[in-house]
Amino acid sequence: MKEKESVIKVLDPRTCLMLLIFANLITFFQSSIWIEVGWICFLGCIMLFMGQYRMAVKWIFTYGFILLLQYFLLPAAPKAITTAFTLLVNYSRRMFPCLMAGAFMIKVISLRQFILAMRKMRIPQNLIIPISVTIRYFPAIKEEVHYIRDAIKLRNIRSADKLEAIIVPLMISATATAEELSAAAVTRGIENPIRKTSVTEIKFRLPDYLYGFIGLLFTAGAFVIK
Amino acid sequence: MAQSSGKGSLKGKDLITIGIFSAIYFVINFIFMLMGGLHPMMWILMPGFIALLTGIPFMLMCSKVQKMGAVILMGTITGLIYFVTGMFTVVILVTFAASCILGEAVRSLSGYSTFKGNLLAFICFSLGMTGSPLPIWLMHDKFISQISEQGMPAEYITTLEKLSSPAMLLVLFLAPVIGAIAGSLISKKMFQKHFIKAGIV
Repeated sequence: MKEKESVIKVLDPRTCLMLLIFANLITFFQSSIWIEVGWICFLGCIMLFMGQYRMAVKWIFTYGFILLLQYFLLPAAPKAITTAFTLLVNYSRRMFPCLMAGAFMIKVISLRQFILAMRKMRIPQNLIIPISVTIRYFPAIKEEVHYIRDAIKLRNIRSADKLEAIIVPLMISATATAEELSAAAVTRGIENPIRKTSVTEIKFRLPDYLYGFIGLLFTAGAFVIK
Repeated sequence: MAQSSGKGSLKGKDLITIGIFSAIYFVINFIFMLMGGLHPMMWILMPGFIALLTGIPFMLMCSKVQKMGAVILMGTITGLIYFVTGMFTVVILVTFAASCILGEAVRSLSGYSTFKGNLLAFICFSLGMTGSPLPIWLMHDKFISQISEQGMPAEYITTLEKLSSPAMLLVLFLAPVIGAIAGSLISKKMFQKHFIKAGIV
């Protein structure tokens, strides 16, 4: 389906992971705002090159909006609003570089590629399986909670019992999922000790090296400039 | 069901079970992490609240996977996800790793299947989250100036200053212990009330 895509639009999952780690370091060093802005623009550019136009526009605009809020709107706003929102704005701005890199990774990398990359990085199988299950199970939790809430509404449950009424079905369905998933996975040979092969091939190409290098420059910049 | 021995290595099924319960653990953990931003007191009590509510998933995982490595894997996954979302500091990394190893050791010594052993392991595991507010005491001045630079509202910081007494440090460590005990007792009750009836343990 996607075989026509040019080489430029394929990224190695490891590059995305690297970008994520760089984003982490940049957040950690907390250097000047300009590095952060540059980093956001850089990520936006990668998104554009990868053909994720809507995503790039959405994230850049959101970031711009947050900056606008923090530096222009909030200082001018009444005090009651300021205290309530400063925290929110701060948190989201602080998490933004990582969030953006993470969202990008989730969008362009399939879980299968990610598992392949983890295998290539020689992460033990005992860690790869639970991690991939965990990542895959997050959306399922959201769905489950949604269904459970609908059911709660129908049955008119007292608010004191609500927590129990959410957690217990969630646990039971989680256990059931674990059983089913294991049965399916064992059938497909998850317990086979032989090194697994894959049709998809991942390797570093020119864009990977380029993005990695620029990311490294940003990180070094964040480290040096205080 | 092959969940009797405490010695065998983790099989595919165990790994999947750990993965699923880690996801639930992480979601509950994350919700309280965010709520900690609302008020400093919430932040200090956060490990306690997390322990209180994650008792059920933790205990359920323990009863399903009675083998070595379950607690460490759960901790590693939580740690890794927090790391990629940029919310981990060095302090929490250390406390988290220590608490996971401690929890695993307790489970291994207690033979994996007893309620008391799992309870003790859960207390150890819950103590790991204390690393999040711990920098308030460890590097008080630097920390305060750092978060005020980040633009935390002045009110939050002054409340935090008031709360950073040695007595509160005790509260910080007592909260997860009490929370873990309460959480385990609740989960025991839930086991009897629901899970055994439903035939899942």
